[in-house]
Amino acid sequence: MTARTRILAFLVVGFLLPGAAIAQARDAAALNVSISVFDPGIPDDRALHRDLKIFPRIRRVEARFLPFVLRETLVASGEWGAVRVVTGPDVAAEVGISGSIIRSDGERLEIRVRAVDATGRLWFDQVFGSSLVQNERDRDPGTAPGSPAIYDEIEATLRAARDRLDDRALGRIIETSLLRYATELAPSAFGQYLADDGNGMFSIRRLPARSDPMLDRIERIRLTEYVITDSVDAKFRELHEEIASTYALWREYRRKSLEYDRQNARRAEDTRSDAPRGSYEAIKNLYDNYKWDRVTAQEQDRLAIAFNNEVGPVVEAMEVRIAELEGWVEAKYAEWHRLLEEVFDAEIKLNRAGP
Amino acid sequence: MLKLRSLTISLPCLLLVACAPAQPVIDEQMMRIDGEMPADLSGSWERDYSRGDDINQVLRDIYYYLSRTSADRAYTARPGPVQPSSKDFESIRALARLAELITRPQVLTISQNVQEITVDRKDDFSLLCAFYDGVARGTESDYGTEICGWDGDQLVSHLVLPDGLQVTHRFTVSEDGQQLRIVTTVSSSAARVPVTLSRFYKKFERLPPDFNCIETLSMKRVCSTGEIVL
Repeated sequence: MTARTRILAFLVVGFLLPGAAIAQARDAAALNVSISVFDPGIPDDRALHRDLKIFPRIRRVEARFLPFVLRETLVASGEWGAVRVVTGPDVAAEVGISGSIIRSDGERLEIRVRAVDATGRLWFDQVFGSSLVQNERDRDPGTAPGSPAIYDEIEATLRAARDRLDDRALGRIIETSLLRYATELAPSAFGQYLADDGNGMFSIRRLPARSDPMLDRIERIRLTEYVITDSVDAKFRELHEEIASTYALWREYRRKSLEYDRQNARRAEDTRSDAPRGSYEAIKNLYDNYKWDRVTAQEQDRLAIAFNNEVGPVVEAMEVRIAELEGWVEAKYAEWHRLLEEVFDAEIKLNRAGP
Repeated sequence: MLKLRSLTISLPCLLLVACAPAQPVIDEQMMRIDGEMPADLSGSWERDYSRGDDINQVLRDIYYYLSRTSADRAYTARPGPVQPSSKDFESIRALARLAELITRPQVLTISQNVQEITVDRKDDFSLLCAFYDGVARGTESDYGTEICGWDGDQLVSHLVLPDGLQVTHRFTVSEDGQQLRIVTTVSSSAARVPVTLSRFYKKFERLPPDFNCIETLSMKRVCSTGEIVL
């Protein structure tokens, strides 16, 4: 059964199932988490790319690759509900995580991570950093490369933020998430349930009845969207599987390259000539110091191209497929939005007309 | 290690160091291009040994020049030819050796697109001249600063190293695009005069490769007679 057939089968079954079967009891602490593709942190000024040793194409790959590593860490912790990587902000996420890559070279990874729940409460907004060299040294041989301590730290911070909330607050997050989703889709029917303070904080004015047929429809639509989101998420998994080893290799090369930089510095120091100023030995030494520094930098450029040659086609294919899936969701979303508004309108008219 | 000094800050210093007291080697106008690059230098170039400067002749000329200028200065005290000091000549000879070393490559490969020119040289770093939004952006490290620009249809690459050591290359392509002249000047604050060497190159066509090859990280160089599918 292909992925497309599975999706269609799920959609058919999903719409036929009664709402009660979908609305399952759940552990309030196991919130669903949406991780948006990271901001690659590429400066607009292209001239800075060389100075900062940023390779834009590789950063863009990392922005898609690293959230998936975080997802895997969250899933492995067993503390969370469904954890998905999404391509854009998921405003109705129970917990939404966004990130921006500040530094990523062979030695250190620094990511600014922000976590917000559906009520608009900021859980944290902080920079996480990890020495990749240290991590590689400490890493268990069985664990996947690219899972440095930074992700464990993010997960622990996320869990600590959640543990500060009581069950009631957690329940509110789940309800608010559903109502925000419902309001996006059918504002006429659900706009009245939520209050927005204008600063991004949402509170529930009142809850719709559990038997509300509109809410039942919304839940089913949301599950349908989750199926598509999971298909997108599966694409990120494929990307991770396909490029993990190449990425580890790239990081290893970058680490070596930074080592060469240090060797160049040591060599420049060691070979600091006692030869008289202006002598051939003295000026050749000055020229060689610059030459080896440039040769190292140019070797990094070459490796960046090699990395891109290898992973570029995989990333492009993934992006095409994700665009197809998202295009499908967008079209369906517009249709669902129209249909729900029409249904709601018809129900209001029917209620007014009376029996 | 990573120095993030903005080149825009250091550029005035570079221009001052590079040129005092004469004209800047590269001024702001030379660092700007409006639209296309003024000349196309791209291609494979091999050294034309029948032309170009002989280093010994260059040194003789400098020796003669130094003798003349030393004589001019010493004329009032003791008329007649004056030997340049051995220190003067040692520093000139050092520049000449470095100039010869730098200009040794037999083959150059120059690639050029709308915003970058790269000159690949065997056994040396590649010269890079990059224009972003029409403005040349240099390369700066702990060991030196490299900047480039266009002087008419001449590409000028200028490298400033510590202790006042400077290396300038001027690239000029002939009208028919088949000849390339590179004038390399090496100067130092320890030497009274710079050393300039001209080298000539002829364009040659590389044979089309039998294989298409690309570099990869995990498989190194991957080649195929047809389309490469990884």
